Amino acid sequence: MFNRKLQLTGLLATGALALSACGSASQAGEAADGSFEPTGDVTMTVPFGAGGGSDLSGRAIASGLEEITGVNINTVNREGGSGAVGYSQFLAEQGNGNHLLATETAMLALPITQDVEFTYESFTPIMKLGDDYTVVTVAPDSPFESCSDVVEAAKDGRVIAAVSGATSLDEIVFTLIEQETGVEFDRVPFESGSEVVTGLLGGQVDVISVNPGEVLGQLEAGSLKPLCAVAEERYEYEALADIPTAAEQGIDVAFAQFRGLIAPGGISEEAKQYWIDAAKEFEKSEAYTTYIEENLMQANASYGDDFVTYLEGNNADLTAVLGE
Amino acid sequence: MWENLMLGFSTALTVENLLWCFVGVLVGTVIGLMPGLGSTTGVAILIPLTLGMEPVTALIMLAGIYYGAQYGGTITSVLISTPGEAASVVTTLDGYQMARNGRAGAALAIAAIGSFIAAIISLALLMALAPPFAQFALNFGPVENLAIMILGLITVVSFAGGSMRKGLMMAAAGLLISTVGVASGFSDARFTFGNVNLLGGIPFVEVMIGLFALGEVLHQIRVGAAAPIKARFKDMVISRKELTKSGPSIIRGSFIGFLLGCLPGAGSTLASFMSYGIEKRLSKNKENFGKGAIEGVASPESANNAAANANFVPTLALGIPGGGTTAVLLGAFTIYGLQPGPLLFEQQPTLVWGLLVSFFIGNVMLLVLNLPLAPVFAQMLRIPYAYLYPIIVLTSLIGAYSVSNNMFSVWLVVIFGIIGFFMKELDLPIAPLVLGLVLGPLFEKSLVQTSALGQGNFGILFQSPIAVSILIFALLLAVGPTIIGGIRRSQRNKSKGLTHV
Repeated sequence: MFNRKLQLTGLLATGALALSACGSASQAGEAADGSFEPTGDVTMTVPFGAGGGSDLSGRAIASGLEEITGVNINTVNREGGSGAVGYSQFLAEQGNGNHLLATETAMLALPITQDVEFTYESFTPIMKLGDDYTVVTVAPDSPFESCSDVVEAAKDGRVIAAVSGATSLDEIVFTLIEQETGVEFDRVPFESGSEVVTGLLGGQVDVISVNPGEVLGQLEAGSLKPLCAVAEERYEYEALADIPTAAEQGIDVAFAQFRGLIAPGGISEEAKQYWIDAAKEFEKSEAYTTYIEENLMQANASYGDDFVTYLEGNNADLTAVLGE
Repeated sequence: MWENLMLGFSTALTVENLLWCFVGVLVGTVIGLMPGLGSTTGVAILIPLTLGMEPVTALIMLAGIYYGAQYGGTITSVLISTPGEAASVVTTLDGYQMARNGRAGAALAIAAIGSFIAAIISLALLMALAPPFAQFALNFGPVENLAIMILGLITVVSFAGGSMRKGLMMAAAGLLISTVGVASGFSDARFTFGNVNLLGGIPFVEVMIGLFALGEVLHQIRVGAAAPIKARFKDMVISRKELTKSGPSIIRGSFIGFLLGCLPGAGSTLASFMSYGIEKRLSKNKENFGKGAIEGVASPESANNAAANANFVPTLALGIPGGGTTAVLLGAFTIYGLQPGPLLFEQQPTLVWGLLVSFFIGNVMLLVLNLPLAPVFAQMLRIPYAYLYPIIVLTSLIGAYSVSNNMFSVWLVVIFGIIGFFMKELDLPIAPLVLGLVLGPLFEKSLVQTSALGQGNFGILFQSPIAVSILIFALLLAVGPTIIGGIRRSQRNKSKGLTHV
């Protein structure tokens, strides 16, 4: 349905273009009547390497949008500087409605911690796909049975927490728990979720907080023990539904990493609306559901200005945790 | 055990799986040939194409790309001194020298044979020992990894070529370059001068392409070795003597590779460097190393292939990727709805054993493919340098660009190409620099972690029996030869003294 409508507007737009024969239409399909249609191929930047979480979401969005709009979308990995390179290059695409980027928490964390030229306000937020929460997890023989046990133990003893980076989701989660309860965890920094899991399995650290997708196999096998989900609500997935939230155990903390889609700053209102409409169609598609379920995320989609409001709140939280 | 093997063979030997296995190893070889385009990128790009296949077929093909690329990477290392991946850097030391001596065919053949034997040994170990080994590898935490990194850096001593001082200097330079960017475990940027491209550090792939490929071209132009290598077909084929000489090196390389490959993170680069170092230590003709010793090709090539297979131990049995490419493969598992982890061997026996047996079949294919082709590839060197050099420069620059789709990478290659030229002029060894650069971030990470675990006290290094054993081994490697040499000399002197009396 939507597909046909888009094609129709596309037809009109090209018609208008042909009629007005304006040679200086440099912007993507900015027709004389102001409606928008991407011209030629669209580029989807993934600011991280192939195979990572960011890449998976970028490619899922690209193929979903391709199906809906009929436009060819090329996914390009521009990695480096923990995402800084990709975002910085994207900054130069100001006003180009033919370019998209698969975004996540780095868009907010980088401006807080690094000397970069962009903030989230430099771009046009299109869609928040969903939220990736973490589950506080320990070894099966650990004395801890709940997150409150962990906090209690940290009050008068040493609890070693592994984190996957200085600005990573788990670091933020542990800091929020510390701020909420007034305890302190000892940190050992690792560089990825899988390294953190290795550290816990090997007994080098006491507690971790990871995306459930990274430990599902271990949880099902009983070789790791989940304590609480640092989320507003329990997971709906069968394998995770029994895990209580942190709030249920008296720790009022919930924090998710968002994944989403942004366009460059300064694009026309029509171009923004075009991508928001296409993204809304994507949310209804099976590809979207499959993506969310495969990655054990919570499907809280939001669009345009609602996404911006979410980013404002998230940015304030992050500044409180990461900003010195 | 036998039941599992039969199940594996019946899965892997279907026409469809055989065909895709072949496609995988062939595509892998081609990917390995291209500088910059490693197996990690190759596998990641091809995953979407496999979505319509049966999971086991798709994984057989993707894994084929992975170990096929190990073979391909060797070819460019030997022929034009341009390693496709960090794990084949060491191969350039003696492999390229063999090519200069007209023995490129023999170098490629021994690399293929060594890789094949290593694959078979590591597969047997993988099938028999994967779950217990994975469990044991978990004992390697930050403290033990720090010990391994120290051992890795000590192997630098073996690369010193003529001068140990130069080797250590270059390793230190590599470590220094590796400190550019955001430090491990912190969010402060170091030595980036406000350039966002440097936040992630200086990537070793670009450095490698620059130092080796571009540096070598510049050097050859300066030296003016204009005549292409004239090799008779007889010289291209490996001799029986060379085969017997390489045998023990291949076996040693296979075991070193398997052990290091089981550890999540350390991986095949360290394995190839370390096996080369040990081989040189053990050899009676140390002075031949770096001048085209066939053991110097056989051992690291066996080690990196064994490590590539062993990488599957933590990947399959724990769901923890052993290296970059297995991390991407792990992603593929979840796309097909499979959950690698302790239960995978029980829940998906057809898939696991089918995949493992396909490694065996794929390696047979690669051997059959590579042995007759070795002399053919080696003929490439007959191309006059006037044509060959522009091709090398072009593929280097394109390869650099394709690493991250960024012009900055191209500039890095050019800069390091010039540095590489001057290093050759000054006779400074390149391999220790690469080792320092590769190990630097890992070394720093385990250093920071160990310090955090010990609350600033590095004494915990000596509380781990594994770490202590590794450190003792490192110490033996560093000072052992000097001491043994000293004892021998004093004994000789003593016996001389006795006869005088």
